[in-house]
Amino acid sequence: MKMSQNTPDKDDQTSTNKKTISLPMSRVRLIMKSSPDVSSINQDALFLTTKATELFVQHLAVASFNGSGKETNTLSYSDLAQTAEEKETFHFLTDILPKKILARDYLQSLDQMQDDDADF
Amino acid sequence: MDGDSSTTDASQLGIAGEYMASGHYVLQSQDDDGEESLNDHDDSGIKENFREQDIYLPIANVARIMKNAVPQTGKIAKDAKECVQECVSEFISFITSEASERCHQEKRKTINGEDILFAMSTLGFDMYVEPLKLYLQKFREAMKGEKGIPGVSVGEGLGDELTDDSFTNPLPAGIITADGQQQNVMVYTTSYQQIPTVQQIQFS
Repeated sequence: MKMSQNTPDKDDQTSTNKKTISLPMSRVRLIMKSSPDVSSINQDALFLTTKATELFVQHLAVASFNGSGKETNTLSYSDLAQTAEEKETFHFLTDILPKKILARDYLQSLDQMQDDDADF
Repeated sequence: MDGDSSTTDASQLGIAGEYMASGHYVLQSQDDDGEESLNDHDDSGIKENFREQDIYLPIANVARIMKNAVPQTGKIAKDAKECVQECVSEFISFITSEASERCHQEKRKTINGEDILFAMSTLGFDMYVEPLKLYLQKFREAMKGEKGIPGVSVGEGLGDELTDDSFTNPLPAGIITADGQQQNVMVYTTSYQQIPTVQQIQFS
């Protein structure tokens, strides 16, 4: 904590320290308000949510990047989907992160299911 | 509303229209009901009547945070960025509804910081709580500096909602100590400040 009056801050650190966030709070507030039954949100809550969102993005990115056995150096959609499935913390994302499969495979498994049904 | 609206407001809200249509993806025996039920919300408070997941944070900001988090040589696929954008909105809604529920249980109308922290703990984001408390402290101090009022209360009574204005303006040159005497007031230097007894510090 800088308590001294004389401690200079580098300018780019300054703007970061001043805000300590890099996401627009007004947008975060919009998203929060779109939840049902939310009437008002105090300053602290908005800040905490915004900052937490930042942490979340970092967390998700790192977990997904490390999660796949990396030959490519790229974080892809399927890395994210895999992380959502494997890590309990990210389970809430499984609905919006369905694993992509080829249409051909899907149709095949559809046929499979129909065959299975026919067995009854 | 199913996210097809293309008003200018919609584009400002960063709606990734191409991503919304689940027709792009084949779902592996996924149940779509989860998505459907989100449509039934009472969207009071939002004049545009968007579903909660239609509102995203700007992809540039999200991508930047991701990029800084992964190793320097790492790359991020475009669809991964868009995807995280959606995940983020989901996360915010997730935390918010949990916090909101607790708030209601305690017969309060305004969601405060404690509600949020509690929600995070409950939902498995316990690891964020301690760092967040520190960040909140810094934030409060920065806010105090701006308003020039020691001990500004940001408690529930105010119910103030924060606008971006507070953060886009540089901190004013005003100071807390006025008469140059040593007082029991901490002056936090986060930007250029005028202090009578001290030489002006120029931040270049």
